[in-house]
Formats: sequence, structure tokens, C-alpha cells
Amino acid sequence: MKQYLCPYCSTKFDAFEDLKAHALAEHTGEPAPLPEGMIRLTLNGEEYQIQVQPEWTLNYLIHDKLGLTSPKMFCDRGACGSCTVIMDGRPILSCMTLAIECDGNVVETAEGIADAGHPLVETYVKHHCMQCGYCTPGFITTAKALLDKNPDPKEEEIREALGGNLCRCGTYPQHPKAILEAADILRESEGGE
Amino acid sequence: MGNVKVRDYDNVRKEGMYNVEADVPNITYDHIGKRGVRRIDGYAKASGKAVYTRDVQIPGMLYAKVMRSPYAHARILKMDTSKAEALPGVRVVLRYDDSEIKGRTLNGSVGGPDRMAPQFSGFALKPESVILAEEAWFEGQAVGAVVAADTEEIAKEALRLIYVEWEELPFILDQEEALKPDAYVLLPGAESNKLPDDRELFEAGDVEKGFQEADKVFEFKARRDAHLWAGAEMPSALARWTEDRLELWNHSQHPYPGKLLLSEQLDIPMNQITVYSPYQGCSFGERCNPADFSINGMNVLTVLTAKKAGRPVKLLFDRAEKFYGESGDMMVSYFKVGVKNDGTITAVDMRNIFAVFQCTPGAEHLVDNTRIPNLRCEAITADVSKAPAWWDRCEQLPNVFCLTMIFDHVAAELGMDPTEVALKNDGCEGHGMEFLTEYKKKNGYPVRDSLKECIEAGKKAVDWDNRWHAPGEKKLPNGKMHGIGFTWDHEWDDTRGTASAAVWMENDGTASIVAQHADVGVNPWTTYCQVVADELGIPVEDVTIKPFDGDHIFSLMSPDGSCNLCSNAFVVRKAARKARRMVLDLALDHFEGLEMEDLDLKDRFVFEKANPENRKPLKDITVLAMPMHNAVGIYTEPPIVGWSWQQQGIWGEAMETGRPRLCRQSHFLEVEVDTETGAVEVTKVVNVNDVGKAISPETVEGQMYGGTFMGVGRALTEEMVWDPQTGVLLNRNLLDYKCATILDCPEADTIIVETEMGHGPYGTVGVGEDIATMIPALLGPAVYNAIGIWVDDFPITPDKVLKALGKL
Repeated sequence: MKQYLCPYCSTKFDAFEDLKAHALAEHTGEPAPLPEGMIRLTLNGEEYQIQVQPEWTLNYLIHDKLGLTSPKMFCDRGACGSCTVIMDGRPILSCMTLAIECDGNVVETAEGIADAGHPLVETYVKHHCMQCGYCTPGFITTAKALLDKNPDPKEEEIREALGGNLCRCGTYPQHPKAILEAADILRESEGGE
Repeated sequence: MGNVKVRDYDNVRKEGMYNVEADVPNITYDHIGKRGVRRIDGYAKASGKAVYTRDVQIPGMLYAKVMRSPYAHARILKMDTSKAEALPGVRVVLRYDDSEIKGRTLNGSVGGPDRMAPQFSGFALKPESVILAEEAWFEGQAVGAVVAADTEEIAKEALRLIYVEWEELPFILDQEEALKPDAYVLLPGAESNKLPDDRELFEAGDVEKGFQEADKVFEFKARRDAHLWAGAEMPSALARWTEDRLELWNHSQHPYPGKLLLSEQLDIPMNQITVYSPYQGCSFGERCNPADFSINGMNVLTVLTAKKAGRPVKLLFDRAEKFYGESGDMMVSYFKVGVKNDGTITAVDMRNIFAVFQCTPGAEHLVDNTRIPNLRCEAITADVSKAPAWWDRCEQLPNVFCLTMIFDHVAAELGMDPTEVALKNDGCEGHGMEFLTEYKKKNGYPVRDSLKECIEAGKKAVDWDNRWHAPGEKKLPNGKMHGIGFTWDHEWDDTRGTASAAVWMENDGTASIVAQHADVGVNPWTTYCQVVADELGIPVEDVTIKPFDGDHIFSLMSPDGSCNLCSNAFVVRKAARKARRMVLDLALDHFEGLEMEDLDLKDRFVFEKANPENRKPLKDITVLAMPMHNAVGIYTEPPIVGWSWQQQGIWGEAMETGRPRLCRQSHFLEVEVDTETGAVEVTKVVNVNDVGKAISPETVEGQMYGGTFMGVGRALTEEMVWDPQTGVLLNRNLLDYKCATILDCPEADTIIVETEMGHGPYGTVGVGEDIATMIPALLGPAVYNAIGIWVDDFPITPDKVLKALGKL
């Protein structure tokens, strides 16, 4: 026999009229429930409501579907850190994260960090932290997450934090310099307020 | 309007556009050589907004994947694609036996007498270099079919649904095995697995005479296994047909030659093809060249699939697919060296046996950089069941390997300081330093001893006099053995290749460099702008480059031509000088009674040399030179555009082009060796490069430390491992192929020497390919100094160290 499922609380009804009466009585005023596969995401400060397929990775969603080019596919399998984005304050590998599991999360990419005027971007340019530049956004997001958590990192802590980011051009010595300088700028601007 | 005179560049016309030598500006280095010039590509890359080929998407595009051979050597007997074709979302299945692709071969040549020669696509003279094969010559070769579908997942699924009946055939992995008389012959009809190569034998002087003159003659063997570039961006190509016009976006260093190759292969008129070159995620010469077997094949398959689908198609490689192809220095070397007791090398006889492909035979650096009078180099190439090898930052690897091995073994045999052995033999084509000194004097170069300067600077930085010791004699408090090694060279020929560009000055006095150029990360665009800014006397902020457009006629060199700045700076300098003369010509209207030669440009002003107060804003002059204007009431002049083209010398043939190498470099590397585990740790590397003149010091340093980490990887951890039972490459991913991370990097000193003795503009010499090529072999003498035993088998992994120590 055909049954009707309440989209708010999943109670089953035999007749559509009963479901309607139930919904009006119990759920009037509640926000409409999301259809299956629909997620809400805060991306670089903007609200998104997007229908995703269960097999989509967060990288596929951000890069291929939303057109933000910064999370790069380099290694193809969670070995290089180039696809790193910040989710709820933590640097994560977007290629190893399913988009459907990100409902309600807050995500930042390198574009968002640059648009917000974070000093890391300019110190990265100044210290030549990029050569081909393909892995650079993954370093920027990892570094931003570090500075959010640890505004005064030691060089050893920076190296540890960046240990999962591959750079085939070998820009490694420059990153701690840029991150330390950005940390100085951030602390000075906060001290001045 | 009335009596206003249109100048129309009277003087420039009279002289001819090419007479830039008429007034070579006496420029000041306001930007050239200065630190702190902001990178043009910096913000785009740091913000993630730079668009790479992999990022490009266009409406309606399909995704394509290629079938790869699962066997090291096998032939397709039967292939059934019906299930794949029936899968929803599959739009095209192109089979190897379809008329569009059947019999099509790779195109590995962009010029010269060997046009359309597949062997130059890295297939090392194999005749069977078809694009989509029926018979696979290595595991991972593109075979059977390519599928285009609505998503990448569907395309992959479709490949899984293709049924293939294979005939497995014998394979060989080792080049010396392949050359044995009773070896299975891989190429049907061939007599043996030896591949023909016209570089097989090089001889200079008389080695037998040289051995007789020697106080000591010794022999040794060394081996270098495969490694690869492992660049960041996985290759992809995107093709769109609009009627008969083709657009191609591809991962390529050489967009324009790529267009020529495609045109030849598919009979498409070149003026119907536009090739775009977005940002490139790593290059290093390998797998980014449109003539390389995998990129050439990918481009053709993408274009054909897009044609068949009637939709744009993007063909994607995954990480594993990018692992098929090695560096061109898989070699086993046998050396015989004659030397006098004072360190003078009298003769070298070497036999290098390469697998698949020899980038360079091995003797050139002894010719170009030493006075060794008697040389013999036999370079044999054997076919094996591995993917084609190719140039990989850079093709000088075999030459550098041989030079380091020979010089450090000589020092060890004699118990001499290796820096002294280097100085003893420095020279050119058998001639000593007096020959080079004479050349420098004659040709207006400063007379400096580059090697001596480089060695002195490096010895100081690494504290050589205190750190170098007898081999195997320094145990550290942590129980490990300390070792230090040295090598030297002039790794790369100064400058070669062809390039063209225009410098266009707009009405507001800002300038653009107009030329297509593929960025490979060496900060090229900023350096070209520095050159143009100083030549035009304007701030570097007023100069930019338009590198992406595929429809310019101008195209600048990219590496794997190996001379980025050293060739391109000639071109942009010449173009800027032409534009400068056009500006001065137009400016004459504002300076009555003066000639062009009386004027100069500086700080956005044209001024009288004898009286700098007498000046006019540059903008007041350039504003007249308009590409178009719709009013009739004002007069205009033709646009200010200078264009130029330049061809440089031939690589590896310094003397033939009359350009002996004058600059040198020195490298020092320190290790700690754990004799219990065999583990080698590189603790410090000091690089000293005479780059002639550093246009952008930060960029030079970037190549020096960046190359160090790649070089240490090649020396220690980067290793391609094939299964001897199946011939399958086992570690085709970045977890098992180990590149250095920030936690693996030793201290890397970068010391720049600037003698201005390079043959590039302003006396420059290239540095981009240099360090990564020099460091791998240098680990050998450092480990020898630590344990007193030569390992001579690269990469030097712990098992090899333990074996050398007799513990395994």
C-alpha cells in the first residue's frame, strides 16, 4: 500500500490528507526541510544551498561545480595537501571529504582568504613562496588555519603544520618567512585596535 | 589642423626598423638585478585565482579517458566495446581500429630534417609509435580505446566495461639483460634490442696514448636508476571545434609548436587552430612538451574525440598515468681513467649503457669544461619494456653524472682535495685556462677565474678546510658517520633557441610585452618586464605582459628549450629598443633643433641629454600614436610597436658556435650516514653559481634551493620500482614515490656569483635546470667520504649502503 512520509519528522501516513493535517498541526512555522542531497554551506562568508550527489567530493563541488579554482588536484589521493580548504577552523583535504557530509559547515578557500585582505597573500608574494603556483593555495589555507589557531607560531610549528603540503618546485624555505611576517602584521594590527 | 606636421617616424624609416644598434641606450639598472620587484604572477597564484589547464571548463564539455595497457608487453587479440557504448552518458568510444585513428603515429619533431619523426616523441627509435596502440610496449601505454562521456566517472566506468582478450608477450626491464646475445628481441624483425643512435661513439685525442702518459689508470662502474618529474598538475587537454575552427587548451610549454604538430598530424590549416596556454602546474621539461609521446598522443586523441562527439572534450590524466615516462638517464656506466699524480687527467674512456633513450651520451661536459685531451665515450641504448624516457630537468643529467663520478673518483684515488682536481683540469676542449683568458680578452669579457671564485666562496660557506676529512674517519657524537662531497661544472650551455615578441607602447605611456608564453614558474614575466622597464626608462609597474592569448604571432621560449631568460631577454630588449627609437623620433617635434641621439628616456620623461631640465612627459608623446581614432580634427601617428626575433646558439656545441663556456659553479653536500640502518641524511647543501648577472636575485635563489630539494630526492628517495615478475610499475603515486616535503629539506645555501661572463644579455647564464641536475651524483662522493666505500648506485637507498658495508 502506498504510504506518505512526513518530510519534517518522517512519520508515515496512509492517506495524503492525514499527512497534510499532521503537517499543519505539528510543523506550521518550521522552515521547510531540505530535500535529500541538498546541503547548506557557508563558503567564503556566503550562504549556499546546493543539491549534491552522494559520491561528489567537496573538491568536486567547490572546484568543478562552483568554479572556485583554488583547491587543486595534484596527487589524486590525499597525499599532497594542494586541495586543502579550511572547514570549521580546521585545514582538511577537500579531495578526501564527501560534499554531502558538509551540510551546515563553514568553508574557506584561498580566494576567500585573499578577498578578505589577509596579509598572508601579500607576504607570500613578497617572499616568492610560489614558483609554478599550483600548490600555493593549499599552503595558504593551511597557513591561515595555523595562524587562526596559533597567532604566534614558532618556525618549527610552521614546518610541522606544512608537513603535508607537497611543493615540487621546492619553495619550502620561503613559507616560514612569509607566515612569520604575516603573523607579525596581524598581531600589530590587533594591538593597534 | 592646418600646419601640423605628421612625423610618421621619419628617422626610423630612413634608418630601417632594425637599426637598433644605431643608438644602444646607456641604461641604468633601476630594476635589473634589484631585489623586491613584485612578482607579476604572485597574487593570482597565492589567491588560487590563476587558471591552469586543469581548471578550464567550457559549456557542454565531455570528459575523456584513455585505456592503459595492464601488461608490460601484450597484444590485443579481441576487443568488445558494446557494453561501454551502451552505458548511459557515454557519447563516444573511439577504438584503435577506427578509421579516424588507425595507423596515426606520434609527431615528435617541430623542425629540421626529421619532421614528423615519431622517434623524437621519446619513443627512442621504435617504429611502432602509434597513438592508440594495438600492441603495448610497456605497462601503462595508451591502447585500445578512448571514451568520452558526460562525467569523468562514467568515462572510467565505460573503460572498465570494455572486454579485451590479450596475448601476453615476453618483456625485459634491464638494459644489460636486453643486450645479452640470447635475449628475447622486443621489436619484431630487429636483430637485437640495441637501438640505433648516431651519438653512439665520441672520440677526441688518443685515449691509449693518454693512458700511457698517466701515472695511474683505474676503472670503476656506476649505475643510475629511473626517476621522474612528478610535476604538480596532472596533464589534460581540452578541444573545441566550431565548424572547421579548432581551439585547444593544453598543458604545454610550447603552445605554438604544438599547433604545428597538430596541423601536420591531422591536416588542419594552422590558421584554423588556436592553442591557449594557461598557467602550467610544473614543467621541468617532461610531459609538458607537445612533442612528448604522451602529450602529443593526448592532444590528437582529444581533438579527434571532440570532432566525433560534436562537443568540446576534455581528456584527463590521473596521477598514475603521469608516471609513465622516466628521466633520460637510466644508465649503467663503465669508466677507465688515466691521471697523473698531480691530478691532471690524461684520458677518459667510458661506456654508458642506457635504457630506452639517452638524453645525452655523457662526455660533453668533459669537452666543454675541461682540458682533458683524450676522451672516448661509447653510448649504447637498449630497448626495454618501460615507457619512453625523456628530458627531465634536464637532459644534461648523464653528462653531469659522468663528470662528477670521474672527478671525485680521481680525487679519491690520489687522496687529493677534489676542489684542487677541478682547478687542475678546468678548461675547454682540451685547452687550459690560458685559452679561455685569451678568448675573454678578445671578446670584451671581464677576465675572471669563475671556478676559482665559486670554489673559494663555497669552501668558505661550508667550512671546507675544517669539515673535509679522510674517507670514513669522522664519527659524530650521535654515532653516525659524517661525510662531505664536492662537485663542479658549467651545467648548461648559456643560451639557445628561437623566440619572438613585440613591445607595444600604449597612448598613456605604459608598455605591454605581446607574445604567447607558457609560464613554468621561474618568474619569467617579471624579469622580462624588468628588462623592458630599464630599456625604456619607465617604472616596472608600467610594463606588463599578455602571455595567454593563442593568436599572437609572437611566442617566447619556455624551458625544455632550456633557456628562458637568456634567450627571451635578448628578444624583449631588442623590441624595447625599437619602441624606444620610435618614441624618440616622435618626440623630436617637442625638441626643436635636436636629433634623436640628443634625447633620452627616464622616469616617464623624454629629456635632452645635455640639459635634463628640458623634458617632456612621455605620455604627451605616446598619446599621438593611436591604433584607431574616430575624430578627424586631430592628427595621429602609427602605433609604437617594436617587434623582434632572435635565434641563439646550438646547445652542447659550445666551440662550434664560437662560444666557450666561461662561467662555472661549485656544489658542496654534507651527509650523516647511519651504518646500522644504512640511512643517509643530507644535512647541508651549498650551491655556488656564477649566473653571470642575476636579473632577479630572488628568482635565481628560488631555482637554487628548489633544485636542491628535487636533487636530494633524486639522490636518495625518488625511485621507480617495477615488479620483476610482471613488469608493472609498482609505485605510481605520490605516497610511494617519495618527493621531499618541508620536513625533509636540508639547509640549502644559495650563493650567487656575478662575473657577467655569460653569453646571454647582460652577461647572463641559465640556472633553472642546474641544481636538480648537479645534486644527485654529488651524493656519491659525500657518502664515500662518510663510509670510505663507494656506493655508486643511485638512488643511494639504505639497502645499497648496507650492501656496500657488507652488512646485507
